[in-house]
Amino acid sequence: MTDLAPSDTRTLIDELLAEQRSLTAVDQFARAHPRHNSFGLGQNYRNLIPLAKPRDGEQYAFVVELDKCSGCKACVAACHSMNGLDENEMWRSVGSLHGERNNKPFQQTVTTACHHCVDPACLNGCPVLAYEKDSVTGIVLHLDDQCIGCQYCVMKCPYDVPKYSVKRGIVRKCDMCHGRLAVGEAPACVQSCPTEAIRIEIVNQSVTSYSAVAAGATLVPGAFPSNYTAPTTRYLSTKQIPATARSANDSALRLEAAHWPLAIMLVLTQLAGGLSVVHAAFQLATGVTVRSMPWAAMIFLLAGLTASTTHLGRPLKAWRAFLGWRESWMSREIIGFSIYAGFAALSAWRPDSLIISIVTAFVGLGAIGCSAMIYADTRRPTWAASVVFPKFLGATLLLGTTIGGMLTAFSAPKLMPALITPSAITRVALFSWEMTKLFRARHNPKSPLQRSARTELKLLGHVLVARGFLFALATALSMLAIFVKPQIGFNWAIVVLAAITVASQLLEKHVFFAACPAPRMPGRIEE
Amino acid sequence: MKFSFTDLNPNVRQWHGPLTKDHAFGPGHFGLGHLPAKLAPDATTTMVCGFCSTGCGLRVHLKNGEAVNLSADTAYPVNLGMACPKGWEALTPLEAPDRGTRPLLRDEQGVLRPTDWQTAVTEFCAQMKGIQLRHGPHSIAFLGTGQICTEEMALLGCFFKFGMGGLHCDSNTRQCMATAHVAYKQSFGFDAPPYTYADFEQSDTLIFIGSNPCIAHPIMWQRVMRNSRRPAIFVIDPRKTETALAATHHLAIKPKSDLILLYGIANLLAQSGWIDQTFISQHTAGYAEFAQFVRAFTPEKVALETGLSVGHLFRFAEAIHTGSAVSFWWTMGVNQGHEATRTAQAVINLALMTGNIGRPGTGANSITGQCNAMGSRLYANITSLIGGHDSANPAHRAKVSNILGIRESSIPTEPSLAYDQILDGVRDGKIKGLWIIATNSSHSWINQGGLGDLFKKLDFLVVQDMYPTTETARLAHLYLPAAGWGEKEGTFINSERRVGLVKKVRRAPGEALSDFNIFKLVAEEWGSGEMFRKWRSPEATFQLLKEISRDQPCDITGISNYAFIDGEGGMQWPFSEKEAATAEINAQSGAPDKLKERRLFADGKFYHADGKARFIFEEPRIQPEKTDASFPFTLLTGRGSSAQWHTGSRTNKSEVLRALAPAICYVEINPEDAKRLAIEANAKVYVRSRRGRLTATAFITPTVQRGQVFIPMHYAETNRLTLASFDPYSRQPSYKSCAVAIEPA
Repeated sequence: MTDLAPSDTRTLIDELLAEQRSLTAVDQFARAHPRHNSFGLGQNYRNLIPLAKPRDGEQYAFVVELDKCSGCKACVAACHSMNGLDENEMWRSVGSLHGERNNKPFQQTVTTACHHCVDPACLNGCPVLAYEKDSVTGIVLHLDDQCIGCQYCVMKCPYDVPKYSVKRGIVRKCDMCHGRLAVGEAPACVQSCPTEAIRIEIVNQSVTSYSAVAAGATLVPGAFPSNYTAPTTRYLSTKQIPATARSANDSALRLEAAHWPLAIMLVLTQLAGGLSVVHAAFQLATGVTVRSMPWAAMIFLLAGLTASTTHLGRPLKAWRAFLGWRESWMSREIIGFSIYAGFAALSAWRPDSLIISIVTAFVGLGAIGCSAMIYADTRRPTWAASVVFPKFLGATLLLGTTIGGMLTAFSAPKLMPALITPSAITRVALFSWEMTKLFRARHNPKSPLQRSARTELKLLGHVLVARGFLFALATALSMLAIFVKPQIGFNWAIVVLAAITVASQLLEKHVFFAACPAPRMPGRIEE
Repeated sequence: MKFSFTDLNPNVRQWHGPLTKDHAFGPGHFGLGHLPAKLAPDATTTMVCGFCSTGCGLRVHLKNGEAVNLSADTAYPVNLGMACPKGWEALTPLEAPDRGTRPLLRDEQGVLRPTDWQTAVTEFCAQMKGIQLRHGPHSIAFLGTGQICTEEMALLGCFFKFGMGGLHCDSNTRQCMATAHVAYKQSFGFDAPPYTYADFEQSDTLIFIGSNPCIAHPIMWQRVMRNSRRPAIFVIDPRKTETALAATHHLAIKPKSDLILLYGIANLLAQSGWIDQTFISQHTAGYAEFAQFVRAFTPEKVALETGLSVGHLFRFAEAIHTGSAVSFWWTMGVNQGHEATRTAQAVINLALMTGNIGRPGTGANSITGQCNAMGSRLYANITSLIGGHDSANPAHRAKVSNILGIRESSIPTEPSLAYDQILDGVRDGKIKGLWIIATNSSHSWINQGGLGDLFKKLDFLVVQDMYPTTETARLAHLYLPAAGWGEKEGTFINSERRVGLVKKVRRAPGEALSDFNIFKLVAEEWGSGEMFRKWRSPEATFQLLKEISRDQPCDITGISNYAFIDGEGGMQWPFSEKEAATAEINAQSGAPDKLKERRLFADGKFYHADGKARFIFEEPRIQPEKTDASFPFTLLTGRGSSAQWHTGSRTNKSEVLRALAPAICYVEINPEDAKRLAIEANAKVYVRSRRGRLTATAFITPTVQRGQVFIPMHYAETNRLTLASFDPYSRQPSYKSCAVAIEPA
């Protein structure tokens, strides 16, 4: 005892507190389990993992026997503990389907993790090649140290599998416990399922590949069509799952990540692209050069690109982003904007050169096109090409003409209406199109946009009201600018108009992210 | 050849680095397979889980003697390598930031302020003694728990009654197991659940009554799924629960028509001659009266009352008759009812009349609730004298006083008030000092709406808990910080009577002390130190409890010590010295190990003096609150998910468990009712009863019948609605049925 106090002054409290701090399990229970016992668990799962390695054209896959799944969710907790995940990190989840079968209540819990797709969307979207589909096992592995934390895989995966960790600045995901499988041990979920509902099998990739999947086929009712990524998990059930079964959270609406840096980046890059286009068009049409336009384009572009890096979990590794150019629209966009930035600088340096203006405008439009493809390539209905392209090009035109009009008001005031007029027309057209789409989808259960429309109206109603107000104000200011002779000080009203337009676009881009429902596997009851 | 940057320079793809290393795996040793290298243990040890009564063995991964992780134990006979999410997450609640680290005492401004232990126990004794002086010795009471170790319960119960001179005490096991306790005691002569979990695997017909093991006891359901006989599984439940869906037959009876159904089935069996006459005549008493009594429960009447068809009733009775090993399992759907004891006994009667008891795969089996409900029933010294003794029996009093070295006169002969009566006592001003240990009454008690105000009538409320943040602890005058499961030693007794071990694998935060140590400290300050000198440690106390169990049905004298329990993977009672000696001989002669899974009554001998089990029955009672025009729905309550434990004071501390269940209150409602009331999916609704109102999210599902709604018990507001009615024999609250109205919010 190192206690210097004489023992008779030690009170019972001191003793009890000291006793409470001692850990006795190891000393007292000498029957500590033997250290060299590496296959204690083996007997539990010998039949649940394949004995052989996959051959050419084959891979490992999860098989879930739904009849055995009772919804205890041990798989989720065991995956968390046995993989040493962060407190808020889960690689497996359990949801449920509800409905009626033959007029009788139907309910089925569904455990789900990564489906280790034959054609993984996460891998295809990754700009830095941080995903690897293992050539032997087919497991979709994530290279944690390669990841830059752009989270594009999170948007690409239709099953909500990659999980972004703010603490680490990267994404992590289920790797089917490939380290365990490599030494003949079962994945954590397989080991821990009390009813042996999960196992690993070898599947033929051509059977599960999307060419072989019927159009519209899904893993379970409500899941994303399998012909996108060719997921390999097989859900087996002797009972017919009614096609009308709905996920427990089917009626629950939720806001997705707002991605403010991306919203800002989209607005500013589209503003820059718009200015480049307006600059070239204005030169072409009127022969007048508004020198502030290419300068503003360059500055807004650089600001937008800077904003985008704050979105990354590991911005210092962003230089890797070109690596995925073969498949990833994210890579292509980054390359596109890099080239555009060069031309934007050139155009600012030589604003009078029509040819440079025109090339810059097209490069800018190309980069914005890549931006649009980033979202269209996720196959989310809300981000379909038919939605995103009009949105982005419309915004480009609106922002370019409005801010271009503002700059013109200062340098060539007489020509200002030539830009504010198309700006106003674009604004009205764009807003009416958006609103028509929104209110049409709202009550149409067949519309793939219904969920996003309901999310926007129910959870982002305040944003919609604000946008409506800004729209009315901007339209009124535009009318003044076009039809009333500009007075002294009116230029500042046009600055207000420009600011309102940018603000409204920021809100629109916020809704673009927050009200775009991510496709997911069945979930649990949500508030 | 495709061009690739990575071919030019492989280093542009970083396969290794600190982030990858963080998730690196290596051999975990100790038979654990591969584990994250950062969590590799240097030793492991097994202990029982501290949530439910299944009593799973958890393998704790230790580093420098301290738990860093855990996994389910593959060698433990209960769970065979499996655990539910609560078990997997059992260590997380210990790390919660709101753990109590110092005693808290309410000051004159009414604010709870940290204090030291000496002040806390001085205040405790001064206040409690003052109350006893002013209002008499029986004006103090405690409400205990099924969540602490047997040794701790025993010390509490003995100190309170023999040291403090108190009488009125009860435990939250009143809310879960009181009915089974009374039912078994009256029917068998002792509170003795007869089964072992192997019975789940050995039945060919399993009947679950008011029981949803898929959610409430997933590891027991695992044992059902291991049954290789393709058993018929009947679930009797108003709701199409997860278990009902997994079963082969679901009898969706009207709420609280279970007793009538069971009597009706008994009548069908009797009328058809589908009974075991030999068993009845040799091992039971009262069958003729019972058979006569149930004649009134004709199939037509029963069909009308239960909502089942006559055909269903016949097929169910026939299944019981044709099954060669029929087991009956009941849980809270039976225990928490207004005529619960008789309902449980109606289940027992079916097993007795068909001879389905004492053989593999049979039994009338109550599935317990809490991890140590059985310990509480036998050793808490609350309703019965410690060790399942009778305080009115002079021989029992002499035995206990002798073993414990206390004066026989200090053993009160009067019965204690039950939980609800103690609260009534508070209301009437008869109870002025209350000590609540490891339970959250303000959330869990039936019709708890008035409890906050009720506790204000107390002169002194002490709450002893891991967290000062529970609904109840926030009302305390004095809060005592308790160490939790995993931070102390002791034993639990599970549903199949298995004594399992809890070990100290974590340090309690700050100055938190084990409940055992808190009781010791308070006893010392009270002046009862001498009386409990022999209770040096939990293990020394266990030796005393062994002595007390001698010659009782729950004899555990054959369990030498904690190390023995550890080595055997727990031990079911009874295990007397005689049985231990036989086992020793068998082990030496290489006879098969029959110790691991044992059931009672193989010899047909019950614990009544004549060795016979009793048929106990009574006319069904009217439901205390039927639906009417103003309150047209029956409210059913129960567990919502396997990730939530009771009031959530522990499970809500884990992000994993929180992710697995809805955070806020929801109500399940049938689609037709929802349509009629214009309630949309996920809309907010009000649910009202005559007692109170709550707001919930509507979850529309056909798994609840029309005219019924279901709300999980894990939300504090649920018990604002429930009706405080009680089974007259067990005083267990009837949580499962009251009348409510529902409307869009």
